[in-house]
Parts: sequence; C-alpha cells; structure tokens
Amino acid sequence: MEIIIYGIINSVTLALMALGFTLVYGVSRLPNFAHGALYVLTGYVAWMLMYRVGLYYPIAMVLSLIITGLVGAAMYQFVLVRIRGMAISEIIASYAIGLAILEGLRWGGLKGGTITLPPFVDGSIELIGVSVDYQRLIVVLIGVLLVGLLWLFVNRTKLGLALKGMAQDERAAMTLGIDSDYMAVVAMALGSVLAGIAALVLFPLGSIVVESGYNVLIMAVAVCIVGGLGSWNGAILAAFIIGFAQILTQVYLGAHYQVVVALVAIIVTLISRPSGLFGRQKELEERV
Amino acid sequence: MFEARGLMVFYENMLALNNVSLTCGKDRIIGVFGANSAGKSTLMYTLSGIMSDIRTKEEMAGGERITIRGQVIFEGQDISELKPSKRARAGIILCPERRRIFPESTVMENLMIGAYLANSRQTSETLDYVLRIFSPLVRISKRLGGFLSGGEQQMLAIGRALMAQPKLLLLDEPLLGLSPIIQYMLAKSIKEIRDERGTSIIVSEQYARPIMPIIDYGYILENGSAVVDGTNRELMDNPDVKSAYFGS
Repeated sequence: MEIIIYGIINSVTLALMALGFTLVYGVSRLPNFAHGALYVLTGYVAWMLMYRVGLYYPIAMVLSLIITGLVGAAMYQFVLVRIRGMAISEIIASYAIGLAILEGLRWGGLKGGTITLPPFVDGSIELIGVSVDYQRLIVVLIGVLLVGLLWLFVNRTKLGLALKGMAQDERAAMTLGIDSDYMAVVAMALGSVLAGIAALVLFPLGSIVVESGYNVLIMAVAVCIVGGLGSWNGAILAAFIIGFAQILTQVYLGAHYQVVVALVAIIVTLISRPSGLFGRQKELEERV
Repeated sequence: MFEARGLMVFYENMLALNNVSLTCGKDRIIGVFGANSAGKSTLMYTLSGIMSDIRTKEEMAGGERITIRGQVIFEGQDISELKPSKRARAGIILCPERRRIFPESTVMENLMIGAYLANSRQTSETLDYVLRIFSPLVRISKRLGGFLSGGEQQMLAIGRALMAQPKLLLLDEPLLGLSPIIQYMLAKSIKEIRDERGTSIIVSEQYARPIMPIIDYGYILENGSAVVDGTNRELMDNPDVKSAYFGS
C-alpha cells in the first residue's frame, strides 16, 4: 500500500518538475537548462516576499510566479533569441544563466537548511492504513489540476492552439500569422511559471536549498528523455515509471539510489529506444 | 494591389531569382509556371516573407549566405522588410509547398490553428465555407493530419490558409502529386474561392494544363527569370509555352 501511495505522490512530483521543461522544448525546441534555477528562484522569492517584505502567503506566491515568468521571458528576449536553432549554444547559454542564478543565490546567502516555506495545510491523514500529510495530497491534487488546465489551454484557446501549431511545424505556423519569437517568449514564460508552481507546492516538504535546483533539472531531463523529448503523454508516463522505480529502490535498496534510478533510466532509454517512449524524432513519412 | 519589383535572390553566388517583377490586381488569379528549380518556391517564399526568415536562420547558424533584393508592395505599402507573421496579418497568406499539414493535429484542429488571425465571427463563417467547398473534410474532421491522402491534405491546406482571412492567397504547387480528377476539382475550387470571396490568388505550378484555364494572367519562370508573360489566351497560343507546358 505504502509503495502505491508514495509511488503516486512521487510520480506526480516528478511530473510537476518536468512539465515546464517539456512545454518549452515541445513548443520551441529550446532545451531550457535554467529550469532548475527558475524553480529555486521562485521558492526563494516567495520566501523573501513573505518573511522579509511581510506579504501574505498567497500574495507572495502569486507575485513570485509573476516574477519568475518575467525572468523566463526576459531570458529568451535578451539572450536566447540570439542563438536560436543552435542546440548546443542554447544548452550552454541557458545552463550558464541557471548557474548564475543558483550560485548567485548561494552567494547571496541561500545556504544550509534554514529557510523553508510553510505547508498550505498542516497535519496528516490516514489513507488506507498509510499516513500521508496534507501537503503531499495537495501536490497530487495540483499536479492533476495543472495537467488538466494545460490540456484545456492547449486544445481550447487560440494561444494554446498557436503554440501547438508552432511545436509541429514552425514554417507552416508562420505562414498563418503566428510569430515564432512571440510564441517562444510565451512558452518560456509559461514554462517558468510551471517550474515556479512546482517549487511552491514542493518546497514546503523540505527546505529551500540551491542543490534542489540541480536535482530538479536532472529529474526534468530524465523524465523528458525517457518519455520522448517534447511529448506530454510521454513525459507523464515516464514520470510514473521513474517515480515508481524510485520508490521501489528506496524500499528495497536504500534512499540514496533515487538519483541513480533517474540517470540509469536515461542511459537505458538512450541505448534501447533513443527517441523515448513517445519520441517524435522519427517523423511520419511525408506523403506526396 | 500587390506588386513585386525586381526581385533578386542569391543562395551564396547562385542566382535563384533574377530580376522578377509581377503584379496581381484585386480579384485576379495569377499563374506562375516553371520546371523544377525554376525558382517558383523561392518566389513564393520571398513574397510571403519566409525567405527573410530563412536568411536570418542561416545567418545565425553560419550557413548559406542568402541575399534578397527588390521590393514587395502590398496595398501601397512597401512590405519588403516585414516578418512573415506581419505580412500574414496584413493579409498575405502562403499555402506552402508540400502542404505542411500539422501531422499530430486533427483536421478540425488544423483549421482552428489556421484561424489564429480571425475573430470568432470570421472563424465560424469561414469554417462553414471551407467545409462546404471541401465537403470531404467533414467526414474526416477527427482524423490526424498525418494520416490523410494527398488530395485531402491539399484541401485541408487551402482551407487552413482560408481560415487566416487572406486578401492575397499564395498557393505553391497545390496540385503536386495529385490525380488528374482531383487536380481539376481543386482548380475549380480555386476559381470559386476567387469568385465567391474576392480573394486575389497567385498560384505556382509545374504542370500548367489544369490551372491555365482559370488564370487571368501568367508568368513563365525559367532558371530564375520570368521569360514570358501574358494573359492565359496569349500563353496558350504561344508555341514555346505550348510545347513546354502542355506537352503537345
């Protein structure tokens, strides 16, 4: 029972961490290696606004998400736009920005396990004989809600459909009046906000540390590679596979194998099925 | 209404378009004919602005050096420097070579992505129109774009372009690889679109026979130059054109 419940919680956690990364890559083919940094940044900004500025928790959360979204958009607008289409440069530049943010935060005093966001609701509940705290239930709830909302956004709104078109065929989308740079800015802002939401629901479970930025990036990359880069269904399925694998190794082997599982999953995927579970590397053959 | 003056496009030192000028009045259908590599797609990409996007991308990646010269004028405005999305907003919509249907979206979703520039009233009106003139699309509206036949894809591609509310529709080789029956059906639809919606159309094609009867004026491209132009009657009577494009 414990394995199932904590497996689900862990899987949704991974899915939350990876959503933003998948979205940005899926739409603009932009591997955003600053993803983890944006995650930590949101947590830190929310904490600052709450304890240093003295805002209410909900207001601090919304503000921190807005700030992260703007940072993501600015990253594209001022840096990444100049190196579009050069995958290696995109990775290096975004990773460098991420490093600058993370190490900047460390230098600015974010070290040790001293700062933490409070859980939304205190306490815990007995679920089929397993004790689960409310915050973990909220994680699952928000994860499911977020996936649902994103699905609605992408399939029902004009902007979402434009993002979907851009993801499939940039040139065709351009001929229909969809601007590729604007869409990339939107995707980056949205992806950053998704990273931020993940941070806000997950940080109350532990303390805000710089290392979690690197950890989140590794998890997001692992989930995306196993699921197939840019595929949403693949990412969610992969989150469940890796999530349960982690819990199983934790129970039978030991807690410190968590990251190893993710990395092994990457290696196994690259060896056996390089484009991932739902990869789009191999396009449908064009009909003439 | 639409005019291109002295267009020159170089890929490195290779001349792809050599001093091509063309005009398209309101409610006109203009044909551009030429063999493979005559410059038809380059012309269409230049008119729709995609060419300058390709140039920017090549420049950033350190690839081919592309040079574009000449002017494109639409409704009295020089739009030579505008991005493709801005030109589309102005009303110039390209229906690109090989259709470029969104393969993982359904037929209906392809049309709705096409409606990015349309307001909700225009969207529903145009959707009705597209499903009326291309009625086979109704039956397959839930099928994925990647699983359509060539003819269905082409109907969808033109329909999707119409959803973007074009004033000037650029069709790049719409009949490529289709059976003669579908070719004639599409040619008829293209004429209907002009007659019923007042959309100006520039259509490029390799094989002239189905398209020639519906055009008002045509240009023959050879090695990047417009070598002959005239009304459809003049072109059909021209012995050189006859032997090269009608195979008789």
